[in-house]
Amino acid sequence: MIFRLIGSRLLAAIVTMGVAAVVIYGSLRLIPGDPVSAITAGTRLTSEQRAALREKLGLNQGFVSGFTHWLGSVLQLDFGQSMVYGSSVNDLLAARMPTTVTLVLYAAALSLVLGLGMALVSATRPGIIDRIGLVVTSLSIATPSFVVALVLLGVFAVQLRMFPATGSGDGFGDMVYHLTLPAIALMVATFGLVARIMRATFREELVSEHVEVARSRGVARMDILRRHVVRNSVGPMMTITALLLAALFIGTAIVETAFGVDGIGQLLVVSIARRDFPVVQAISLLSVGLFVVTSTIADLALPFVDARVRAVGGLR
Amino acid sequence: MMSTATNSSAAAAAAAPLEISGLSITVQVDGESRPLLDKVSLSVAKGEIVGLVGESGSGKSVTSRSALGLFPGHAITTGSVVVDGVEVIGASAAQLLELRRTRASMIFQDPRSSVNPVRRLGDFLTEGLRARGVGRAEANRTAIGLLEEVGIRDPARAMRRFPHEFSGGMLQRIVIAGALSIGPRLVLADEATTALDVTTQAEVVALLKRLQAESGTGMLFVTHDLELAAALCDRIVVMYAGRVVETGAASAIFAEPQHPYTVGLLGSNPRLTGERATLTPIVGRPLALAEAPAGCAFRDRCPIAVPACATEVPALRPSRATEVACIMPGDEKAA
Repeated sequence: MIFRLIGSRLLAAIVTMGVAAVVIYGSLRLIPGDPVSAITAGTRLTSEQRAALREKLGLNQGFVSGFTHWLGSVLQLDFGQSMVYGSSVNDLLAARMPTTVTLVLYAAALSLVLGLGMALVSATRPGIIDRIGLVVTSLSIATPSFVVALVLLGVFAVQLRMFPATGSGDGFGDMVYHLTLPAIALMVATFGLVARIMRATFREELVSEHVEVARSRGVARMDILRRHVVRNSVGPMMTITALLLAALFIGTAIVETAFGVDGIGQLLVVSIARRDFPVVQAISLLSVGLFVVTSTIADLALPFVDARVRAVGGLR
Repeated sequence: MMSTATNSSAAAAAAAPLEISGLSITVQVDGESRPLLDKVSLSVAKGEIVGLVGESGSGKSVTSRSALGLFPGHAITTGSVVVDGVEVIGASAAQLLELRRTRASMIFQDPRSSVNPVRRLGDFLTEGLRARGVGRAEANRTAIGLLEEVGIRDPARAMRRFPHEFSGGMLQRIVIAGALSIGPRLVLADEATTALDVTTQAEVVALLKRLQAESGTGMLFVTHDLELAAALCDRIVVMYAGRVVETGAASAIFAEPQHPYTVGLLGSNPRLTGERATLTPIVGRPLALAEAPAGCAFRDRCPIAVPACATEVPALRPSRATEVACIMPGDEKAA
């Protein structure tokens, strides 16, 4: 049973990645008219340069052979050369990866701590506190991260001068300092959803009969919360975390641009503007890959926290 | 209140497991007060099984839960509930924890939802003892002994297994073991066998009776099934719409019910022995106290009601072998 679960999750992951690869590669071909003129819009090229570019992008081949050729390189983790920077896409990504990974993990930690904390407080304190919580989470869900970024910049960077307005710092400590405002911007835009979903999950457990039984046995309140309410919500928590990490990675495009952080997100925005196709393709594939990897891990970890899944080989 | 806690150990030796007197509970729903219980009195002596019988909404669950201080939200509670010498009404949170950890435990209806599905059975079984501060090894030893007692094969292995690996009947035996783990003076069984199929029910009832007899604990057996109660219990308390309407020895209630409601309950159950008779259901639907008419709450459904029934709530008075709250007790043939 357990092997069937693992098999079906891995198969789903491979299929998702395959479809994403086709779409991402196809986007180059879907550009109306001649992709080369679209990519080089505005610059005059000699016909030799034009031909070289067509060759480099694999546009002389048919879709299928072009795709297989591209996929072959990608599977060897070779994303080609950047058309703007001239260096290899791998080098560009590798240089920016530590910054973006730190930012995503930093923001995820903040978002989870605040979101789960609010969810627990709201779930256990119905009434005025819960209602205030609903308003706060609504605000978080409704506010886009660039608005938060502008407010944070105006207040903490320009007015109070507590944090730098741009840059990603040198060395780990300085980087964390530089990434604090961007991480808070991402947190503000995401913790509301975490709080909402987990509040519902906690509430469901709190009114369940096994909690009533524990209460009837004189189990201390904190132990009930820990061993029954939070313990039984670990599955949904893992799923949320997986989705949050993927969403935050996408979110870095806006936030890194707003705060002038030299990371993958900003590279994506710049590359789209300059039509640096190999870079855009690599980052797109990376974000799909991250989503697939985190949610597959969350699914595969479920049997370890819920024995019932182990028995039936599926989700509840 | 503080003095009850400190004196409790001395008083416990003499005190009855459960002594409820004049218990009234009213809850506030949307700014409206809705009464649930009206001056309920009952007691459970040491070594005694008392059946608390009534239809849904009669207040039997609310009554039994009050023994653990598990009152509904926004409830105004008057009267007295003394468990093993400890007054529950007005008790502090710490006193209630102590009560639930050492003196009284409850077996709930559905074992499938009583046990946390993601934790091991050992965690469930030892939870009560661990809450009291008993060490893990000792709690495990106690739990394994109890599992053996309730008829679970390979108890040590069962401790590491999960609830979904057991049938409903087996799981309810485990729940019973969990309830007995603290060595309670009072066990509250709230429809503890209702969710089980008939043969399993008989086994679990027999098990409950054996364990109760061995430990000499008092038991309040809450059920809607008057015949089951008559077979298991020493005494029976019949509730209707938040009030006690009849109480007496199980044999007396079964043989000579005095309240028309008790008569109706027995008449609506099929008999396997004796002469064959048509089932006579009680007309109408069971009422909660909040929607009951003035006077006797049962009068709208009663086959022998007279205008005098509307004037006041009848008090419990002795009539033949039982005590009954009816102005015309034992008069079922009048219909």
